[in-house]
Amino acid sequence: MLVVKAGGRVLQRNFDRLIESVRKVNDKVVFVHGGGDQVTETSKKLGIEPKFVVSPEGIRSRYTTKEELEVFIMVMSAISRHMVERLSTTKRTIAISGADGNAVLAERKKRIMIMDERGKKRIIEGGYTGKITSVNGGLFRQLMDFFDVIVVAPLAYDPTEPTLLNVDGDQMAFALAKELKPDALLLLTDVDGVLVDQKVVERLSPEQAKELSFKIGPGMNRKLLMASETVSSGVRRVIIANGLVDDPISQALLGKGTVVE
Amino acid sequence: MVLLKCPVCGGDVQVDDNALPGEVIEHECGALLEVYMKDGKLALRVAEQIGEDWGE
Repeated sequence: MLVVKAGGRVLQRNFDRLIESVRKVNDKVVFVHGGGDQVTETSKKLGIEPKFVVSPEGIRSRYTTKEELEVFIMVMSAISRHMVERLSTTKRTIAISGADGNAVLAERKKRIMIMDERGKKRIIEGGYTGKITSVNGGLFRQLMDFFDVIVVAPLAYDPTEPTLLNVDGDQMAFALAKELKPDALLLLTDVDGVLVDQKVVERLSPEQAKELSFKIGPGMNRKLLMASETVSSGVRRVIIANGLVDDPISQALLGKGTVVE
Repeated sequence: MVLLKCPVCGGDVQVDDNALPGEVIEHECGALLEVYMKDGKLALRVAEQIGEDWGE
């Protein structure tokens, strides 16, 4: 079994080749998709200006209001359904969110600390993003008896509110991989892998990945740190690879990218 | 400036007149304090620990 995550940019620029690539896999696939850029685009069309906040550590992040959560659910569901539409000709495919069968639960971040426009640390209402707390592994394993591909939107479920929550697609993929222990977790991005001095780092142990995560830029640093944790938890390998090439899944499995193992 | 008391050590804390609710101040005693409004006036309480985990 493979867990594959592709960000919104990869989907936007390489959708057809990505679908072809999933079709070629002779194994079960759990496919997590992103779509942040598509959410921003649709929000703007609807007259909802996306809001971003900056953490005290300088990480810029989307702030999901209730209004924007509705757009998020709509856009992510559309992306999921388009994937099912294209894959179902040859693969038994289903799309779910975290709320379906309590597949992925999360806790809403009720309050977050930001740097405000005056450069001061401030605690504000947390919006509708969440931290994943559990994955219903039994449900995914049962679904795999009936389906070849499970498409998962980055929407987790907080049953205490109750509400769907925007969760980071990478974190969704890492949480699924930790629970399902696939043969590999592939993170398809818009670069060739982890770059140091303009060169792709081909292979890293979990310890090396953790060490490097403190030295490289935001975005990739979190991927590396989580890759390190995921391999340490028992997943054989995590591959960070380019999703904009022909047959990106086979290319990644051939080791073209950064392999953490 | 408004002079308030640290709820942890009781020491003085200078807070800007235009401080906003939610603003976080690190006091010299090491306490992390949050500005909030109480009966229309600025007040201080211990800021709860907020973990770092950001969404999409």
